[in-house]
Amino acid sequence: MNDAAVRKLALGHLWVAFGAFILACFMGEYQVLERSGLIDALESSSVYFASVSTHGVLMAFVLTTFFIMGFGYYIATTSLKQPLWNQPLAWGGFWVAVAGVVLAAIPLLTGNASVLYTFYPPIQAHVVFYIGATLLIVGSWVWCLIMIVMFSRWKQANPGQPVPLAMFATTANALLWLWTSAGVALEVLFQLIPLALGWIDSIDPGLARTLFAWTLHPIVYFWLIPAYTAFYVFVPKQAGGFLFSDEVARAAFIILVVFGLPIGFHHLYMDPEQAAGWKLLHGFGTFVVSLPTFVTGFTVIASLEIAGRLRGGKGLFGWIGSLPWTNSMVLAVILSLLMLIFGGFGGLVNASYAMNAMVHNTAWVPGHFHLIFAGTTVIMYFAVAYYLWPILLKKPLFSREMALVQLWTWFIGMTILTTPWHILGLLGQPRRISSVVYNNLLTLSWDPYELAMIVGGLVLLGSACLFIYNLAKTQLSPVQDGFVQEIEYAEPLHAVTSLPEYLNDFKLWNKVIAVLMFISFGVPILQFFFIDTFGSSAWGY
Amino acid sequence: MERMSEAERQRILESAPVGTWALMLIVGAGMVVAWLFLYYGVFLPRGGVN
Repeated sequence: MNDAAVRKLALGHLWVAFGAFILACFMGEYQVLERSGLIDALESSSVYFASVSTHGVLMAFVLTTFFIMGFGYYIATTSLKQPLWNQPLAWGGFWVAVAGVVLAAIPLLTGNASVLYTFYPPIQAHVVFYIGATLLIVGSWVWCLIMIVMFSRWKQANPGQPVPLAMFATTANALLWLWTSAGVALEVLFQLIPLALGWIDSIDPGLARTLFAWTLHPIVYFWLIPAYTAFYVFVPKQAGGFLFSDEVARAAFIILVVFGLPIGFHHLYMDPEQAAGWKLLHGFGTFVVSLPTFVTGFTVIASLEIAGRLRGGKGLFGWIGSLPWTNSMVLAVILSLLMLIFGGFGGLVNASYAMNAMVHNTAWVPGHFHLIFAGTTVIMYFAVAYYLWPILLKKPLFSREMALVQLWTWFIGMTILTTPWHILGLLGQPRRISSVVYNNLLTLSWDPYELAMIVGGLVLLGSACLFIYNLAKTQLSPVQDGFVQEIEYAEPLHAVTSLPEYLNDFKLWNKVIAVLMFISFGVPILQFFFIDTFGSSAWGY
Repeated sequence: MERMSEAERQRILESAPVGTWALMLIVGAGMVVAWLFLYYGVFLPRGGVN
């Protein structure tokens, strides 16, 4: 197996991901400063919305997609112990995605795509932005294809054998992404690009929002599954124990994919184009997804409990103190789970049909998704990077202590940033605003929270710089003779020698997903073709 | 860290994760209480849209 070539491929993807990440962090700090209105020189709604759009695209699409692809390639080759299938195609997908990012960046940075990362019409961006976004998605589909082919070929070569859990989870994510990206692909190809090119003179925002809702919520699970994968396949070993249950882990991934896909309508609770019954159905579905989250929490914490007790921890909770808190993977999972508790609670509020009205268009929502995405998810991306960097480069990490400081500061910064954000939402501050141009008692009461967010943002920016510095110093350090570190996957408490096919394959689940997607989105989408709706002309760019 | 006997190690590996169950119950109960507080303490008192 040409391990060096795969390591280079993975590193290439991960550097693009983290390059996008650090740029977006600087933009994030600018945005909290601008929005606070405390520095007159920064006041500019056009620059603000260009920055927010770029920040969102870099974090939500570029960081995630490239990280997931790079991580996935390395998982596939190491867990299956197979060479990468069609390496030129993998590089082709990489360069297509990079070209898409570069293309999208041009209108974004020149203020011609200030449509936020959700790019809801009738706000319109320059057509180059949509083409760039499409290329990024096409590049990611190449990754999906390679993951599925490698999964299938391994199964053919090893009939009846359980697919390694890491690859099972990665393939689940590839399938989820293929299913969920179809919604936005339809929207971009048949609505946004024709509108931006002038082929059509109006657009149905209701249909576009429904198609985007198809994508918008499961995309969160696309981002989250690599974090869950690290929870299951790295954390138990790093903590000094065993994975509590391999089978339960597989079940959690299946439930997450199957029930995570058809639930996007809680983003449309306040929209008029969908009937209340459909929204309620999706609302119940959203609550169902809390099940795999609790199952994951239980399995990972149980694995940590085993490790803590094997390390001498006693009593009901004494094992927590016995865990190796100085291991970056273990520290990250503890902090990630803490943020998941609070972020998950926020998600339950968002999913509650009635209560959603209280928070829907408020600052609560960006507070929530920053806590879940930038908190729970991205902190695990850091941990994976700290774990993989020495393996990919064959050099020790520049500073393990710096990594621990970075993880703690990220957690502290995220807490300082997102707690006031949630409170501001409950106080009624709208989201998607660049500034408050009027003063009254209500808006003045927001000031202390805005100040706290600036501090939180600064802590996060410092933490992000530490992260990049540590990785870059490792990359640039001289090769150390004799340094060897191999990837180690956690062993389950009870070895898995055989599995029922429904826990080892996705054929059945693809059929179930097709049925659920048709039930959840069939009528809500088809209705647009059977009822008269009025299109909207584009505005913005 | 004192050395652990093989019997003790086996006992740990075979025992139920009671600490995890306790944590999950605390977190679950906390979420229910927080949700109820937000619903009855914050959301409903705001009343309908006029």
